[in-house]
Amino acid sequence: MKIGFVGFGTMGQPMVEHLIKAGHELRVWSRRAASADFAVALGATRCESVAEVAQGCEIVCTNVTASADVAGLAAAMRPGLARGAIHLDFSTIAPSVAREIAAAHAEGGVDFVDAPVSGGGVGARNATLAIMWGGREALAPRLAPVFSAVGKSAVRIGEAGAGQVAKACNQMILVNLIEACAEAAALANAAGVDFSLVREAMLGGSGGSRALEVFGGRMATRDFAAGVEARLHHKDYALLMDEATRLGAPLPVAAAVWQQLNALMALGWGKQDTASLLRVLETAGRQ
Amino acid sequence: MNVGFIGLGLMGRPMALHLEKAGHTLHLWARRPESLVPFANVNAKTYATPAQVAANADVVITMVADAPDVEKVCLGADGLAAGGKAGLIVVDMSTINPNAARSIGQRLAEKGIEFVDAPVSGGETGAINAALTIMVGGTPAAFEKVKPLFEKMGKSVTLIGGSGAGQVAKACNQILTGVGVMAVAEAFNFAAKSGVDAAKVREALLGGFAYSKVLENHGQRMLDRNFKPGFKAWMHQKDLRIVMEEAHRMGLMLPSAAATAQAFNAIVGSGMGENDSITALQLLEKMSTPEAK
Repeated sequence: MKIGFVGFGTMGQPMVEHLIKAGHELRVWSRRAASADFAVALGATRCESVAEVAQGCEIVCTNVTASADVAGLAAAMRPGLARGAIHLDFSTIAPSVAREIAAAHAEGGVDFVDAPVSGGGVGARNATLAIMWGGREALAPRLAPVFSAVGKSAVRIGEAGAGQVAKACNQMILVNLIEACAEAAALANAAGVDFSLVREAMLGGSGGSRALEVFGGRMATRDFAAGVEARLHHKDYALLMDEATRLGAPLPVAAAVWQQLNALMALGWGKQDTASLLRVLETAGRQ
Repeated sequence: MNVGFIGLGLMGRPMALHLEKAGHTLHLWARRPESLVPFANVNAKTYATPAQVAANADVVITMVADAPDVEKVCLGADGLAAGGKAGLIVVDMSTINPNAARSIGQRLAEKGIEFVDAPVSGGETGAINAALTIMVGGTPAAFEKVKPLFEKMGKSVTLIGGSGAGQVAKACNQILTGVGVMAVAEAFNFAAKSGVDAAKVREALLGGFAYSKVLENHGQRMLDRNFKPGFKAWMHQKDLRIVMEEAHRMGLMLPSAAATAQAFNAIVGSGMGENDSITALQLLEKMSTPEAK
């Protein structure tokens, strides 16, 4: 299949590699040309603009950071998109923006699919991402070859925007749990108990979780180098708390965790791992 | 003075009428024509666009809902910037994000138009009685020019600092009143559920360090179970959203405001948003054992 791709960060680069390996013909563009060199070396076609990427593609993928970036790319690719084409966005953005893009694309007979992923850089490299997508159900067979190349599961949540709602739920559960792990670690440390043993004991029980395993592990070894940069989780919380306000949905625990993330940013750990939430607690409690 | 006024709602209407009564000529535009009806028999001219208002005024006051509305009135097609002469002063008295206010101010400055942010506290009653508290951000020179107008609408007028500073002060005001209303509601609910007369508690506390205007005024309305607005809960939700957006942008920890904002989400989500913000007491009652002790 002819596939366009824009956005070659930690996530996008391995995804492109998997798509090329699966035999797809890739068309790429990047703001800094060097970012796309790896793809061109693997046989991808370099384009001069986003509109040119879209030309002749059945699916154009984007994987960037902010809502405004996706909206900008969507507008830029529109002149190049054929009727019946799909814009497949893997970014984590506001559900409302996803719905707006879908409506704008629909006027030109183009489908928008929001397909945020969970699994981080490791999941992208191993093609084991969990994909949650929103868009017309009839698109599933056309999306399947792309999803199977980059992920191990793809669940259709609902219409356009629904994938982002699922991702917001995912981020909230994950980061709330990271904060819970940090508080457990802080409590154990304050009591003079070895948190790595506490974690080991808990992993088998009902307090166990993937967050305790991965992020709790980093807290136990005090390894705060980024797996996931905390600033990205911080960004996600702005999206989900804004959505909660819009809908009148009270999220008291998430709101408290959000404030811990604000403090984390203030303390300069935005580019380090979200396990740094432990250091936020330690800073507040330090004499 | 020729004063433009845009945003003639519950707050804007009495504010504009105070200015007219003081001898100023009003220049008006309204999104909904019916908003102009109360001005039919006073010294006011009406126009088809904000640009035309700006062309005929020395100062234009805006009093609308949120940042996108201010943006549109100021900088949209046929907005104030399209008609205003260099030297025009635009005074926005809406409550909006401080960062958005700074941005609008910068873009108006490029057209030679001065922008002053001057949000108010005091609600509809304050507007009707010309007793508003007005918090101002802008240059001292612009402040001195528009101060006589403020003095016809409010009883406390303070220049806080440069562009955006008025909105920062208003955000601080909303943290204090939002968290304050929650604190008083929690205290009263605690007293009542403990089998103690909350009215007596209020009376005793008014003389102590827990005294606040919120305890005195909002507290009394809670005791009277008078949930009519006043200041609607959904507006407090909006203002706390602004506070939390700014906290996120700057990296500030505001745990109490964050918790209070969630209570307001619950209030709006459960259909109580049109009540006064003291409806927070009803939320707590709903979530508490009816006959405790």
